[in-house]
This record gives sequence, structure tokens and C-alpha cells, in this order.
Amino acid sequence: MQEKYLNIKLKLKRNKEFILIEYKYKKRSYDERPMALDVLLQAQEEKYDDLAFRYGCRARNCGVCTIDVNDRPKLACRARVKEGDILSAMATLPVIKDLVVKRDAITRQLKGYNNISHKNDLNKDADNSYHNLTACIECYACLDGCPIHAKNNIVDIQNNVAYKYGNPYSLLKIQRLLIDPLTPEIEKTQLIDKAKSLGLEIYRREYKNLKIKCGVGINLKGEVIKPLLDVAFGDEVEKENQ
Amino acid sequence: MNSNEIEYLECDVLVIGSGGTGSQAVQGAAEEGLKVIVISKDPMSSSDTKICEGVITVRESGDTTDTKEILSENIKLAGADLPDNKITAAFANDSKSAYDRLRNNGLRPSINKEKNTPKTLAIAMGGHNKSRSVGHKNSGIAFGHTNWDTIIKYKNVNYYEDCWFLEVVKKEFQKNNNKDIEVLGGLIYDAARGKILFIKAPSVIIASGGLSSLYFPKTDTMRGNTGDSYALGIQAGADLIDMEQIQFLPFCLASPPSYEGLLAGEPSTASFLGVLRDKNKKIILDSVYLRTRAECSEAIMRAVEDGRGSPNGGAFLDMTKNMSAPKSGKYFMKYLKSALPSAYNNARQALGKEAGKAEIPWEVRPSAHYSMGGIRVDEYTRVIHSTENLYEPKIIKGLFAAGQAMGGLFGANRLGSTSLTELAVFGYRAGKSAAKNANQSTKHNNYDIFHENYMKFKNIFNKKGKLKAYKLKLDLQKKCWDNIGPARTEKKLKIMLSFLNKIEKDLKSINVPNEMIWNQQFIDFIELKNMIITAKAVTTASLKRDKSVGGHVRLDKKTSSLFSKPYSTLIKINKNNSFGAYKLFRKKTSLKRIINYKISEKFRFMKAKILRSLPESISDSIIENKYKNILGTNKTIIKPGSIDGASGDKVNQI
Ligand SMILES: Cc1cc2nc3c(=O)[nH]c(=O)nc-3n(C[C@H](O)[C@H](O)[C@H](O)COP(=O)(O)OP(=O)(O)OC[C@H]3O[C@@H](n4cnc5c(N)ncnc54)[C@H](O)[C@@H]3O)c2cc1C
Ligand code: SF4
Ligand code: FES
Repeated sequence: MQEKYLNIKLKLKRNKEFILIEYKYKKRSYDERPMALDVLLQAQEEKYDDLAFRYGCRARNCGVCTIDVNDRPKLACRARVKEGDILSAMATLPVIKDLVVKRDAITRQLKGYNNISHKNDLNKDADNSYHNLTACIECYACLDGCPIHAKNNIVDIQNNVAYKYGNPYSLLKIQRLLIDPLTPEIEKTQLIDKAKSLGLEIYRREYKNLKIKCGVGINLKGEVIKPLLDVAFGDEVEKENQ
Repeated sequence: MNSNEIEYLECDVLVIGSGGTGSQAVQGAAEEGLKVIVISKDPMSSSDTKICEGVITVRESGDTTDTKEILSENIKLAGADLPDNKITAAFANDSKSAYDRLRNNGLRPSINKEKNTPKTLAIAMGGHNKSRSVGHKNSGIAFGHTNWDTIIKYKNVNYYEDCWFLEVVKKEFQKNNNKDIEVLGGLIYDAARGKILFIKAPSVIIASGGLSSLYFPKTDTMRGNTGDSYALGIQAGADLIDMEQIQFLPFCLASPPSYEGLLAGEPSTASFLGVLRDKNKKIILDSVYLRTRAECSEAIMRAVEDGRGSPNGGAFLDMTKNMSAPKSGKYFMKYLKSALPSAYNNARQALGKEAGKAEIPWEVRPSAHYSMGGIRVDEYTRVIHSTENLYEPKIIKGLFAAGQAMGGLFGANRLGSTSLTELAVFGYRAGKSAAKNANQSTKHNNYDIFHENYMKFKNIFNKKGKLKAYKLKLDLQKKCWDNIGPARTEKKLKIMLSFLNKIEKDLKSINVPNEMIWNQQFIDFIELKNMIITAKAVTTASLKRDKSVGGHVRLDKKTSSLFSKPYSTLIKINKNNSFGAYKLFRKKTSLKRIINYKISEKFRFMKAKILRSLPESISDSIIENKYKNILGTNKTIIKPGSIDGASGDKVNQI
């Protein structure tokens, strides 16, 4: 027989400490398979009106609802949960409260990266890869397992400062600009320098063991990292990989 | 007062919101070399703009005969003559340059190589009298990247996310019987860092989007649409216009809960043989594909009111006849899957395989989508507060509003793909106007008024009470749906007003802890307050408009007559602090044009009726040919919320 409840654990950060609470999710029908976001919304309504979590579109578009489900990053609005699952804040960014992380230190590392005036012909088609990369919803799931991002000190929530080291997302933004048909050749060296300054070199060393996964299925190794390494370091990578 | 909790900042232009409107405002001001601060409560650029379908109106993109006058009049007529002529003219004038600016910022459409223009949708969008709607790969997400790239580009722009704008700080001077208002800046709650920001700025731009969360979960928009724009505006002294005009999309999902509110289809989805049925399987609307959204919503809501609604308070969209037709059936399935791909996916995932094949009817229910009404502005986005004489408006010095926050562009109905143009045109105009004002302003040197205003908010932290803001929000959302939703009556509107008075009093008994970092109850309290003010404006405006027109459906009243003089409703706060409602008369389009509209409508319904009355063997072949024509180009993307999705909307406005 199907159960009427699902027991879900919420690992929350309150007053600098993590607490674990159990929430009994009341299914709205016996066959309901709720998303993590449904659990959070019900918990907020029924029991914890102070529960802090992010969401926006409920439809896998806005990219703000990412949390860890059993320690792996997932979009809460489209991640089905099962008995005993643990929901917690993303481990890769500093927690402000409960399930809410501070995100802006990532954006800030790209400030001014696109200081390019495109005064040329606008009627040029971008190639497929450009559009594949544009599918990124900025969910930050790809920070998990990234050896470059791991070098950042991620505890600070008081200062609005950029992280020193990059991540698949920031490199995706750079690669996207690099293959934009409107980006002038002379600007491209600058973009590569930016990628290098964010720690691209580390990927070069760890390329083979790199385990990163995009939340919406973009081929990050093939369409971001590999092409960037090729342009930045040329055949040296080829040699090493052989 | 704990001085640590306040942070003092200064800039020339302060922008509220980082969606499409906010980012264009940032660009307009930043290009002038001014110091700009942009704040948003959601992470940067996460907004309706990012989650939209990404189809935008660009004049001349599909047809070189598309003049400014044609486009401007098209918007005005679609809006039942309610739009402000100067504002529709500005829209038509800037639409091309605004789109090119987005392209310069990184938006990359597909290019029509023959014409050397961006590709428009394969079939001209209904309601638009020229082909001028340009779609984009990755839909709104492509706009999201563009907005993000624009904000991050300028060294003279700083941004703060997770920041709730609380109040416009202003100074008032009494002059004879009128008052002058001048903006000094804003108060902001920075939830991430647990601070209150006092930002001094001679120009403030309201770009904080819409109000559809009043109806949560019966909405397809972002969570943050809690009417903040309108509440901020009216409290700063602004007029609000046409607040009763809310666009509901009729065919959204009613279950399961995780999909509730999301789009399933448009009237056009029903195709030639689709009908709406109540729970007793009785047809409540035929020729669905020719109907306006409001008509479909009305039919569904009437059945619900009568107790004939579906289990989740909607009705059934039955497309089985389309599917089972011997010849045309297979084309229908192709059409269904390709016309609105994201909506079809929502429906299939939510309702299951059989529904996906249209073998069983879909349970559908309307959802709130867009607010046509908003803050009263002029064509330069300067915010207006009226004097005794509504037609001699005064400007609030230093306050600007654009995008979904503003009113006066769309009146009673918004044509598909026009909102993205609205934000590119008026967001940028707001940036320029704000920059001009900042350059002409003298600096104010003290923060006294900021401190005074802050005391109100300070007292909310650490408020003891029995009530929970989040619960009250849910309560309000339910009442909004029942009483000021897609089907209204005088009785319901009055119930709503008394409910609003009660819940306003309840605010006093809400519990808010004394905590600065991410105080969820404080956030919910502030949003609830904004929702109450906005709901009050919607209710008051709905009472003022005692006929059905466009997005405002009154079950107890007739549809507005062709011969009546068009007017916008206007809401402002009176001297005694109550909400006053007025009529603001608009310029009427010539009768000849309106009659043309009506005749083409009658003609279309007659054709549909004849088609239905033919024997199936004959109608099936006719329909098969129709599909071949539509699908022939292999690109039938129809935009949700567009007039193409509801071709009836183009003829049934007046
Ligand atoms: C599913 C869907 C599909 C759509 N498809 C199309 C389409 O194809 N074509 C089209 O033209 N239109 C479409 N629309 C409509 C269009 O997307 C929106 O009307 C438009 O994006 C609104 O832009 P905006 O900048 O005014 O507001 P938004 O993009 O919603 O931005 C609002 C900003 O304000 C911030 N904010 C709000 N309140 C506060 C506060 N108190 N303090 C600080 N910040 C605040 C938010 O965080 C956000 O950054 C669609 C809408 C939806 C929901
Ligand atoms: S690249 Fe993928 S995982 Fe990373 S932020 Fe973008 S969508 Fe999310
Ligand atoms: S809520 Fe928008 S992606 Fe999950």
C-alpha cells in the first residue's frame, strides 16, 4: 500500500550552525511524486513560516532554486523527492540562511569582461554552439566538482566581492563571447587572458578526471573547456592527452 | 539605533529591478557616464524577462511597408482605444532602434539571408497587422544573458541583489492647493548582508515588474510579482491607470500541484474542432480557436460559478475530434506538438501520455499573466501625479517608471510579443530621462528624511503578534482569485474591499522576529503589504469600470458598447488617505475603422460555423488542406500570450 506521507529531512543553517529537522510531507494524493520545491512550500505553509529558500518560475527557467538533494545539486522545482531524502543548501556557495546561498561573488568576477563595442554588421548568424551555450540558466549546479572553484574561500557573506577563481559557468560566459560572430578579433586575446586569470590552467591539468555536470545538460567539457584550452594553450593539450 | 545596520550610499540614478526594463534603464543612464546603482530582490537578471517565450515586436522586420503610424494605431485599436497616443507613438518610433541595441548587447536572432533582416515567425502574428514578431533560440533565457551582460558591462554601475526596495524617499512642498513632489532616493532591505541601505539619488526608476503573484499559484510568472511597482508608485504620490486590466491566459494547468498555473495552450491550440466542456460534458464554448482569451476564461469561470466546473476549478479542453478525424487527424497532432512546444511539454508532463495524444480532454484553468495597467507616465516615462484637473498632470520630479510597471501603452489588451519591445523602448527612455534629471539636480545633503522614514520599517523588526505573514499572503491570494480574478461581479468586488480592509488591520498582529540577516517574515510582511495596496487598486478600478472590456470581465454587466467614449480608470490616494477612482477619457478612433473590425469578426465566425455543419468527409478534407498550408513552412511557433494564440483577440476588442 502507498503511504500518505513522505519523511524528508531538511538540513538548515541557522545562527551559524546547521540543524537537521524532519518534515512529514503530506501527499495530496496517494500517487503524488512531489518535487523538492513542493515539500518546501508545504513546510513553509504548515509549519515553518520562517523557512528561507529561493524559487521563481517553477518551470526550470529562472535558475535560482538550486539546492542539494542528498548532497548533489538539483533544481528544486524539477527534482522529485523520495522517502528519506535530505534537502540542504548548495555546498559550493556560502549559506546566508537555511537553503539560501549568496550568489553574486560569481557574477562579479566577470565585471567588465565584455567591454566591447560591437559597431559592425548585426545581421550575422551565430553558430549552433553559441546557442547551445545560451541555454545556460545560471543555476550554478556546475560548481560541484569543479577543481578551480574549490580553490575559493567561500565563507564570506558580508562583502560584495568577486571570487578569485572561476568555474564552468564563468568560462561558459567567456567562451560564448569568444564565438559570438560580432566579437572583433583583437578582443579575443583579452578574453583568453581573462579565462587564464580565472584559473583555466587548472583544467588543463585535470581535464581527464574532470567530473562536472550541467543542470540543463550543456556539454561543458566539449563545448566550453576543450575549445578554451585549445585556443589558450594550443597543441600542448593535445600532446598531453595523447 | 544600531549604526551597523545602516549603510549610506549615493548615486545619480537608482534603478529598481534587473529584468529587461532595469537593464535597459541601466544602459541609458550609464552611457551618460553617471553613477548608477541597480538593485533587485531576485538574483541579477532573474525575472519575467528571463522566463518568457522570447518573441519580440520589431517594426519592419518582416514587411518594409510597416510604418510607425500603422504600428501605433494597431496597438491602440487592440487596446480598445484605451492607450495613450503619445505613448503608442513612442513605442512605434523606437521599436527598431531598441531591438538593435539589444543585438549590440549580444542578442542573436536567426537571420533571413535574402532580406538581410532578423527572421520573423513563419505566419504573421494575428492581431498584428504586419509580420513583425521575431523569435529567439532559448526563448527568454537569451534575453536573460543579454540583460546580464549589459549590467555587468559598465564600470560606473554597481549592483546589489537579494535587496528589497522598501520605499521611495521624497520631499513634498505645498503650493496653493497642489503639492510638488521631489525624489531624494530610496530605502532598501539588503537581506543577504542584513543591512538597510539609505541610497541618496536624484533619480529613481521603478522597473520592478508586475502583479500576477496576487493570484499564485494560478499564474505562469515569477514568484516576485507581488505588485511592488504599483505599491511603490502610488505611495510616492503617482496615479495608477487601468489597474483592472489584467491579462489571464485561459488554458493553463490546474494540476498536479508542481505544474499548477503553467501554460498548457492558447485558444489556437484547440484548432478547428476543439471545444470547451463542463464537468457534465456539455459544450460551453465552440469555435474556441477563434475566441479571445477573455471569452475563453469567461466561459470557464461561468461554468465554475454554476457548480459545473472540473475537479480543480476549471473546465475541459476537448480536442479529441481533431485527433480522430481520418485525414486531418495526423496533421493536427503535428500542429499541436509544434505550435507551442513549451506549453505542449508542460501539458504532456503534467497530464500524462493519453492527454499528450489528445485522446482525452485536458483539464484547464486560467492563469494571471500580465498587467496592462500601471503607473501613469508620459512618453518619457516621467511619473505623473494629477492635480484636481486630471488632464493637467504634474510630474513627480526624479521618479520614472517603465516596463510592466507602467500603464498607458496597452490599455485593455496586449498584443503578443510587445512586452519585450515595451521594456527595451521605455527602459532605455527611462535611463535617459533619469540621467537628464540627475544632471540638472542639486545635491541634498542630509539623511534626515531617510531616518524618519526608516523608523516605520525599523518598528516592523521584532514585532510580536499571533499572525503569520506567509499564511495571510496565501489567504489574500485565494481571495484575489475568487473576487478580482478572470470573472468579476459587483458583489465579489465589494466582498474583496471589505476583506482588504480587514487584512490591512491584521498587519498589526503579524509576528516578525528581530533578526537582520534574511528575515523571511519581514520579507513576507513587506510583500504582503504591497499586495494589499495593489489589490485595492485593482478592486477599486474594477468597480469604476462597470462594463466588460478586454481583460476585465464583469459577469453581471454588458460588454462596453462601440459607441461609448473610451476611458481609462485612474486611481490615486486622496487627501484623506482613501483610494479615489476616476475616469480619464481617451481619444476615440474613427467609427469607420471600428466597424471594419466588427465586420471581419462576424465573417470569421460564419465561416467556422459552416465548416462545422458540413458532413465530416467534406470538412475533413478542407481541414487537411488548411493544416498543410500552416505546417507547410514547417515553422508554426505561436507565442503564449500572443494574439496569434487567440486570433479572436484581434477582432473582438472594441
Ligand atoms: C511565461 C511568460 C512568457 C512570456 N512571453 C513573452 C514573449 O514572448 N514576448 C513578450 O513580449 N512578452 C512575454 N511575456 C511578458 C514579458 O516577459 C514581461 O512582461 C516582461 O519581461 C516584464 O519585464 P520587466 O523588466 O518590466 O519586469 P521583470 O522582467 O519581471 O523584472 C522585474 C525585476 O524587478 C525586481 N523587483 C521586483 N520587485 C522588487 C523590489 N521590491 N525590490 C527590488 N527589486 C524588485 C525583480 O527581482 C526583477 O529583477 C511573457 C511572460 C511570461 C511570464
Ligand atoms: S552551465 Fe549549466 S550547470 Fe552551470 S550554471 Fe549554466 S545551466 Fe547551470
Ligand atoms: S524555480 Fe525557476 S528554475 Fe526552479
